[in-house]
This record gives sequence, C-alpha cells and structure tokens, in this order.
Amino acid sequence: MKDAIAQGHSILHAREKCVGCVTCTQACPTKALRVRGGRLTLKQDLCIDCGECIRCCRHGANSAPDASTSDSSRFRLRVALPSTTLFTQFGRDVRPAQVLDALTRIGFDAWYDMSWMCEMVARAVDTWLSECSGPWPKISVTCPAIVRLILIRYPDLLPHLVPIEAPRELAAKLVRRRLASERGLSPGEIGIFYLSPCSALMQSIAAPVGLPESHIDVALSIAGIYGRLLKAIKAGAREEHEPRSCAAGLQWAAGGGECAMMRNRNTMAVSGVADVTRVFDRIESGIYQGVDYIEAYLCPDGCVSGPLLIEGRYAARRTLRLLIENAGIESTVKEEKVRTLFREHFFDLEQDVRARPVRPRTTDLRQAVRLKQEKSAVLAKLPKKDCGACGAPDCETHAEDVAAGDARIDDCVFVHIETLESGVARRGDPSCRATQGGKVP
Amino acid sequence: MTDETLAGPAADEILYRETFHVRGGDFEHGGDVATRVKAVLRELSIDPRLIRRLSIANFEAEMNVIMYADEATLDLVVRSAEIEVAVADRGPGIPDIGLAMQEGWSTATAEMRARGFGAGMGLPNIRRNTDRFAIESTVGRGTTLRYAVSLTA
Repeated sequence: MKDAIAQGHSILHAREKCVGCVTCTQACPTKALRVRGGRLTLKQDLCIDCGECIRCCRHGANSAPDASTSDSSRFRLRVALPSTTLFTQFGRDVRPAQVLDALTRIGFDAWYDMSWMCEMVARAVDTWLSECSGPWPKISVTCPAIVRLILIRYPDLLPHLVPIEAPRELAAKLVRRRLASERGLSPGEIGIFYLSPCSALMQSIAAPVGLPESHIDVALSIAGIYGRLLKAIKAGAREEHEPRSCAAGLQWAAGGGECAMMRNRNTMAVSGVADVTRVFDRIESGIYQGVDYIEAYLCPDGCVSGPLLIEGRYAARRTLRLLIENAGIESTVKEEKVRTLFREHFFDLEQDVRARPVRPRTTDLRQAVRLKQEKSAVLAKLPKKDCGACGAPDCETHAEDVAAGDARIDDCVFVHIETLESGVARRGDPSCRATQGGKVP
Repeated sequence: MTDETLAGPAADEILYRETFHVRGGDFEHGGDVATRVKAVLRELSIDPRLIRRLSIANFEAEMNVIMYADEATLDLVVRSAEIEVAVADRGPGIPDIGLAMQEGWSTATAEMRARGFGAGMGLPNIRRNTDRFAIESTVGRGTTLRYAVSLTA
C-alpha cells in the first residue's frame, strides 16, 4: 500500500517495504527525512520533491505516482508531450519518430516533439541575457527541484532566476493553442499529458512556481508507461516519411545541453546535489559574477538521470549522443519566429517567483542563540560518526532535533550504550569490566 | 593607523561568539569560513539580507587572507544591536591603506587574477556592504579588519 509521503508532494511511500534503513534520510539534499520509531517521516516544508529518496532506496519503498491525476476522461483530444529524455530510453536503434508513433498506438491522439521548443527557449534565453542587467550570474529555471531549493534555501538568489518559462510549459501552451484552432476544439477539451523523468517535474505541474496554473493537464511517470510503450515500439513498422526531431533541442535532455545550444558561451553547467549546493553558496558570496548564465540540475547528469527513467544514465547519454549525431546538429528553428514570440512575451514567466523560506523556530535572537547553544551542548556529547542510526541524517541534525524537542539524545546508539555502561559501572557489575577499561582478564 | 569609527557603539552584551581560523595560501578551501559563518547566522535566524551583505564582506576578507597573509582568525560576535566581525591576520601588512581602499587598486598576481580575484574591489566591497568598517595595519606584522552590520536599522 503506497501512501503519499506527505500531503501535497509527489512522492509515495510504501510502509511495508520500508526497512527503516535510513539511506534516504542521508541522501535527502534538504535533510527533510527522519526515521522515527521505525517509520519514515517527512518535514514537509523542506521537501523539494527532487526524488533522491526514490533513487537511493534499494527496497523500492519510495516511488512517484504513475499519474498526477486519474481524472482524464473529460478530454476529447489526448496529446502526449514527452520529455526529450524519453527518446534516450530505448537504445540507439529506436528513432524518436518511432517513439512518437508508438505513443499514438498506446492511446494518445496526438503528440508534440519538445526538441523544437527546447531550441526556441535557448534562443529566447540568449536574447533575454543580451538585454538584461544584473545580478550575475543568471540561473536557469528548467529544473524545478533547483527552483524549489532556491525558494527555501537560497532566497537571495531569486533575482538571479531567468524569467523565461521552461520548454515543457511553453510547449503545452503552444500545442493547445494550435490544436484548438486546427481542430475546432475548445482549449478545455484538449488534454495535455507530460511524460516526466522525475518527481520534481510532476510536482511542478501539480503545484507550479512562476505561473498560476500549469498548462499541462496530467503528468505521467515515464517508468509507469515504459512497458506499454516498449511493446508498441516493437510492434511498429517503419514509416515512409518520418517526422524529424530538432537535433540541437535534443541536447537539452542531458546536463550541459542547454549551455551547448546557446550562442552565449560565458555559461556554466552544474549538476548533482553536492556540486549545486557548493556553487550556490559561492554565488551567494559574490563569486561567479563574471559568469552570465548557470544551468543547474539537481540530478547528477541532468534530466537524463531522472529517477523515473528506466535506462541507466550512461547508456542513455550514449543513445542521446548517437541520436544527435545521426540527426546532425543544425539550427532548425526560425530566428524570426522566436524574435516575434519574444516581443509578444510568449516566453515570459507569468508570475513573480516568491521565496518560501523555511520558518525559523524562533525569530527572537536571544532564543535562537539559546537553541544554538543547546544544540552545541548536545552535539558535544554525540560521536560525530554521522551514522544516521538515530534516524536523523547526521549528528548535527540529531542535535538540532534534540534541542528542538523532536528527539531524545539517547536515540543515538552510542550515547545509549554509554549510558547503559556507566550505569553498570556505577553498580560495579564485574561482568562488564572488559567493556569499561578495554582490558580482558 | 586607526580609523575613528573603530570605537563604534555596541558595548552591550555578547549573545554569541565564535572564532574561525583561516590559513594563508589555502585556495582549496577558499570561501569555506564565509560559508560556515553564513550557516551560523542562518541558525540564529538573522535577516537573510543582512546575512548576504555580511557574507560578501566575509568572503572578501577571507580571500584577502588566503591571497596575502600567513594566517588569520575571524572572530564573529553577535550582539542584540549588531553583528561584528574582526579578521586579524599575521602577514605583510598594508603600507598605504588609503591606496588599498581605492577601487581598482590591487597587488594581485597574474595567478590570482586568473582565479577571478584581484580586481581591486576587496576592501572597498567590504566597506560598501557593512555599516561600520575599520582597518588597522602594521607593515611586517599584519592587518586587522573590523566591520559590522547593524541589527537595529
């Protein structure tokens, strides 16, 4: 039985599969998870839905829902909007056109190939960068886990975010507009289904940042539809005139791809939790002001390493490289069209992005100092092995939890053993002499 | 040489104090102390805008030590009215403070510049981002910076 790990998040947790091993508490980039009394708990306001807890769990206890909503019967036209990472999932011999064709055979009425929009957005970001002013460097809003990390951990970096919407939302907006006029449907009769490589993207559709409501109706996990799609690909026949993908835009599927597409070369691509945190810390200190643009992904290799993909990231990268080489990189997007759309503000974020800093335990400085001192006093008694056995990710976090009254110091096994031993020593139990002095008689 | 502003207010009670050590030439860990101080200030629920300003100052001061001095202590003192930082280094000292305080003036080597430092913005940048700034230096012995952001403004 899978339950939402917490209300309003795109992560499911199957309690009966969880062995309480604490691996995910240590993988979580915002230290939002604890194991308490053998059960996984989440500090909701810290969760950025990045899916690291899905990726690291060997017991399959954490997962994403297959679909963000089950209510899709109301649509007269079902449009698949696959993340470009989908094309990397079936090996080198399956062309994007076959994957798109297979989508129509598993029940979609139409599809939109996002590689085109990816290149258009790269052009739009180029244009925006050439006209904007500081603070530098600007940061991409493509990865929703990164945006959420900034909202809660790095609110100072908000003015660095590029106010250009990500390709998925723009593609949905465009395709709905186009199909409504082509087929004479009302916009509400068209259902746009985004095929997602990660939980953070699913969450960004359920609870978007930078726009009041997502242009996407339903988010589906790629892992969830993989089997059916693979079968449909195998059953498919080669078409005479296959639609082409935009090779330049395909690059977006992997970390560094966005930068590779841009005309502006003064860019940096950074990925993976640890590196992103380090780079963001440094941007806050005022370093990297000489860099124009930073493409950042929480996953180690960009979207191609998303937790809801099936193919391993190295194999997927190889497939991606071959797909791009076969298609031959050439710019296929019409500059004129991008410029017109840019002037019409088609690419703009629809809303200001507002910080969601985690509420401090107290705003009173004296009390905050007292909490910090209590925490330091607890930490001094902890072994600093960061073993995580207490259920918090590391000793420092455990000390914080203890100071806040959320945990007990002897949830730490080392402290617990020490307490037992000192009790025994006081009673002078001879059977424990070996553990006291380390001398074996 | 002592700046008049050194005396400052803030004779009030110290709520929190922590001292950090910076090693000269330690480019590998450049910025770590500024990051640690930032974490402490966050824990103390200090206004993020103040943390940002102070972090920029701390980073500049830390990099100055790494680039020019042998070693230094960075002393963080939190009072209810302000947060003060004193960075005292053992190093060559600054012969002409007036010159060093001018924007764009730098003695950085090509290597330092290649790493993105030495634009001559360090000390002026610290002064710009803080509410109180003072510098004392003795050639051949070292330099002490003392700067603060106000919590009451």
